[in-house]
Amino acid sequence: MFKPSFFITTLFLSLSWIAAHAQSFDFPDAPKNPQIKEKVVKSCTACHQSAVVVQQRLSKAAWTKEVDKMIKWGAQVDPADRDAFIDYLSVNFSPDKPAPEFPRTDASQ
Amino acid sequence: MISRRDFVRTTSGAIAAVGAMHPLLSWAVDNSYNISGKDRMVVRSSQFLDLEMPPEFATSWITPLNHFFVRNHMLAPDPIDVADWRLNVAGSVEHPLSLTLSDLQKFEQHTVVSIIECAGNGRGFFRPQLPGIQWGRGAIGNAQFSGPRLRDVLQKAGLKDSGKHVMFRGADVVLGKVPPFIRSIPIEKALDGDTLLATHMNGQPLIHHHGFPCRTLTPGWVGSASCKWLTDIKVLDKEFEGNFMKPGYRFPNHPGKPGEAINPDDTYPLTALTVKSLIALPAESQSNNRTIHLQGTAWAGEADITRVELSTDGGSTWKPAKLGHDHAKYAWRLWSYKWKAPRSGDYTILSRATDSQGRTQPATPVWNPSGYLYNTYDQVKIHVQA
Repeated sequence: MFKPSFFITTLFLSLSWIAAHAQSFDFPDAPKNPQIKEKVVKSCTACHQSAVVVQQRLSKAAWTKEVDKMIKWGAQVDPADRDAFIDYLSVNFSPDKPAPEFPRTDASQ
Repeated sequence: MISRRDFVRTTSGAIAAVGAMHPLLSWAVDNSYNISGKDRMVVRSSQFLDLEMPPEFATSWITPLNHFFVRNHMLAPDPIDVADWRLNVAGSVEHPLSLTLSDLQKFEQHTVVSIIECAGNGRGFFRPQLPGIQWGRGAIGNAQFSGPRLRDVLQKAGLKDSGKHVMFRGADVVLGKVPPFIRSIPIEKALDGDTLLATHMNGQPLIHHHGFPCRTLTPGWVGSASCKWLTDIKVLDKEFEGNFMKPGYRFPNHPGKPGEAINPDDTYPLTALTVKSLIALPAESQSNNRTIHLQGTAWAGEADITRVELSTDGGSTWKPAKLGHDHAKYAWRLWSYKWKAPRSGDYTILSRATDSQGRTQPATPVWNPSGYLYNTYDQVKIHVQA
């Protein structure tokens, strides 16, 4: 007999598995400034994959240089959001964070 | 209310169900990394495509194409139709040229076996951490490249005496206001008989990821000196001035302590690669029996490898490895060493190479703010069981 609780638990565990295996290239939420995450994602991934950002482990000074370089190179960042971008990136991708796991391509000859 | 027993039963069943679904879920997650012609490569970025060779694949003298690393600074162009493709040769030449692939094939064809290594290979090991692709140990490969010599094409165009540098541009797509990826090499290297306009790699036409239909091969130099999807060659009277010549791809004349600022004017453009070794097997964290066949490669840019040594005691003592027979000027050299571990336990294996210029890999990296030319001893940590 079909048991809703079994289905829901299976779905939950499946989604958790996907999240765990896909999380390496995800941007974390920003509870204190929920909108900034979406702005960072939109600006950064307009040109390159999130992985290019998520693999960095930089100080606030280094993130400041990177954000300013990317703005110079055409990243769409509202000037009012610049400091929040730097704060978000330097909090979430700081030197003390563990390195992300990188996926591999499929097997192919 | 759900009882503890029911919760355990339901969760256990669900875990079993998820386990059964694992291959399907794995496909769902990994399918986005089905990169044509590439086999189990580490995805540092899928856009722009940056793929790293896992070190355990470095056991053959010629790296198979499906294990050769990929480094793109920009968006790869759409696959190029040879009928539409032209290679323009201009600048300080008497007769500018517009060559088809068929034209290139009429020049004398030359073959060179060479490494290509990204200047940033190993960047991920620098401390403090540095911005850029966080390459590990495998942004390197050794392949057989074929095509006309750049020298012959420049001479057909009537190279002028005023030409001092040769600039390359490829068809990769520049987004936003990013400076195009244009670099130049000095005329002496451009006229070297081993610098190629390569149309073939490992005996077959270049694949798209490696620059079809034509790329430069500037052998022994940092990978950025070898331009993919080549469309334009321009002879200049001086070094090209652009972001990827300065501040990009430069090394401090006087490297400082880790984290120290560098004066951009006290730097030089990167050219030849440095001396380096790579332990392919055993792989990191691998469990082994006591008798182990250590294998790997070593390279030194434009110099020859003269010695590879291994240490299993933290660098106190070093034993020479046996160098492989296959040998070419710009190629890597395979090495091997049979080692019997004295007892079971955890070990760190170190390798270091020495070259014909007398350079030996250092114990600590030479820090520089862009994370180039990381070449300290290679190492793997393994477990030995009796």
